[in-house]
Amino acid sequence: MQAYSSSPPTSSVPGDDVVLSRQARIWRGLRTFVRRNPLSAFWGVVATAILIMAIVAPLIAPHDPLKANFRRMSKPPDAQNYFGTDQIGRDNLSRVIYGSRSSLLVAIAAVLLGTTTGSLWGLASGYIGGRFDIFSQRVIEVLQSFPDLILAMAISMALGTGTWTVIVAIAITRIPFGGRVVRAVALSLKEIAYVEAARGIGASTLRIMALHILPQCVASYLILATTHLGVAIVIESALGFLGVGIPPPTPTWGNLLADSLNSGLVPPWWLVFFPGLAITITVLAFNLFGDGVRDTLDPRLRGTR
Amino acid sequence: MYEYILRRLGFGLMTMLGVSVIVFLLMRVLPGDPLVAIFGMEGFTKLTAEDRAHYMAELGLSDPLVVQYLKWMGDVVTGELGRSFFRDESVADMIVRRGPLSVEIGVLSVVISWILGLPVGIISALRPNTVADTGARIMSILFLAIPGFWLGILIVLALLFNFGYKAPLTGVPFWEDPWANLQIVIGPALVLGVGQAAYIARMARSSLLEVIREDYVRTARAKGVIERLVVNRHALPNALLPVITLSGVLMGLVLGGSIPIEQAFGVPGLGRAMITAVIERDVMVMQNLVFLYSFVFVLVNVLVDVTYAWFDPRIHYQ
Repeated sequence: MQAYSSSPPTSSVPGDDVVLSRQARIWRGLRTFVRRNPLSAFWGVVATAILIMAIVAPLIAPHDPLKANFRRMSKPPDAQNYFGTDQIGRDNLSRVIYGSRSSLLVAIAAVLLGTTTGSLWGLASGYIGGRFDIFSQRVIEVLQSFPDLILAMAISMALGTGTWTVIVAIAITRIPFGGRVVRAVALSLKEIAYVEAARGIGASTLRIMALHILPQCVASYLILATTHLGVAIVIESALGFLGVGIPPPTPTWGNLLADSLNSGLVPPWWLVFFPGLAITITVLAFNLFGDGVRDTLDPRLRGTR
Repeated sequence: MYEYILRRLGFGLMTMLGVSVIVFLLMRVLPGDPLVAIFGMEGFTKLTAEDRAHYMAELGLSDPLVVQYLKWMGDVVTGELGRSFFRDESVADMIVRRGPLSVEIGVLSVVISWILGLPVGIISALRPNTVADTGARIMSILFLAIPGFWLGILIVLALLFNFGYKAPLTGVPFWEDPWANLQIVIGPALVLGVGQAAYIARMARSSLLEVIREDYVRTARAKGVIERLVVNRHALPNALLPVITLSGVLMGLVLGGSIPIEQAFGVPGLGRAMITAVIERDVMVMQNLVFLYSFVFVLVNVLVDVTYAWFDPRIHYQ
């Protein structure tokens, strides 16, 4: 470890003009976000609305999503069942609303788990370097050599079906992205004067990583987490559609699509259309919100649009 | 140059070794006895201990892991690939029988994505912030969010309801009945292609926008070169390089995405075989198919890197 840096300290103290309280800074950040990316802000609101819908599903769903009603089987959308009913008379709207619960839970948990693991790994491998870094790079390269969905399928086959399996399976496919991006940040920070100064006064590697490098990686982490939510939703629904996701009868959007294909010779259009629409709108909302987050947080993009 | 190609191939080979180890280990941590999966719980309890040992040995599952792995690698090199647990068909035969359809879909989808995505991206970049550009961007944002397999089911349903049309169910090789073959392949290829085209259009737009602001493009315009030539001869070749790389990365989307799309269209391709293998817990089939798909992914990206080096005279790979 180097004791002293030969380069003179060049960086100025950031934010030395105005000192704002934490809360004020957050508000200012939010205002900037809305002003710069009104479209993203709008879709952020949509995403939040979908999240709230998932949380309060029991309050807003008009029927029990699992309760069969044999008087109303395979009915097209009407005043009683706005999205129609399936082949054993379960209300499609309620199933789509409840479906958002598992789909979002899996996507959010998987992205948090995968991105966090990947980012911490990337942080360590970038800062520590050496053989550990080379080894990590190889492992990440291998992980990225699997098409996402196929890796998730193989993992969920290996671990058996269940909510946690699906979360872990999708999370593992997200690790390489965190690993790569955060590693690059850590690498670029490693030789910067304030980090070298910390090394110079004898701070431990762990302390430097936690107190000096980690805070600088938060922006990249947030960008990764928001931009990958959409992908995670698509993978979850594809797994459910293929019958290797969360086991039925739990309604998830993917399971609903799989059920629709098994509901007779010709699937009724409303059983296919609405769950897919829910997926599309959610992915759209997360993607566009993520774009805005990236525009706001990524300094390289600042001022380009 | 040749040295670079060789080194890139070597790296690809190393990656494939890593992939094979991960696939192999994943397929060996399966919960439960593979014999339970084959015979069912009831059948399994009726088997004597010798029977069990016999079947395990027959399946090649009683050797130590290292031996099993080396045997499998030997199989991969010789193209044997083991047998399905349930069907009397070797995995190699299955690939030969079902593979061509999946390959056709994949290749066709890449061609479609370039035919659709590139012109859209170029027009967007040449007339930024016009109605055409905005429309193109909205379309690409939309198609990035629509799951391909859902679009697939909708298309199948729409054709069925409006025209009473259904694509042939059994796979036919192109050289035997091109028309029937095309009816099977075109739907999935189109859906997969549109999904990729959205990425391609977005990348082509931003890449061309960047290149067109460069000094050498301005010089060409200042010399009085006509606009068509400025774009076609000066700007496009450089702007296309990132698009080629993206197309390689998107191969993961093609390979993975084709699986639910084959399911949605009912195409009897390799993707369907993989779904069956997962549901039946057919370890040998899954292991080899996952390996095969990853192999194609890695190979395509090696080829993309080599093409890149070939086309980009600025880079001299040491």
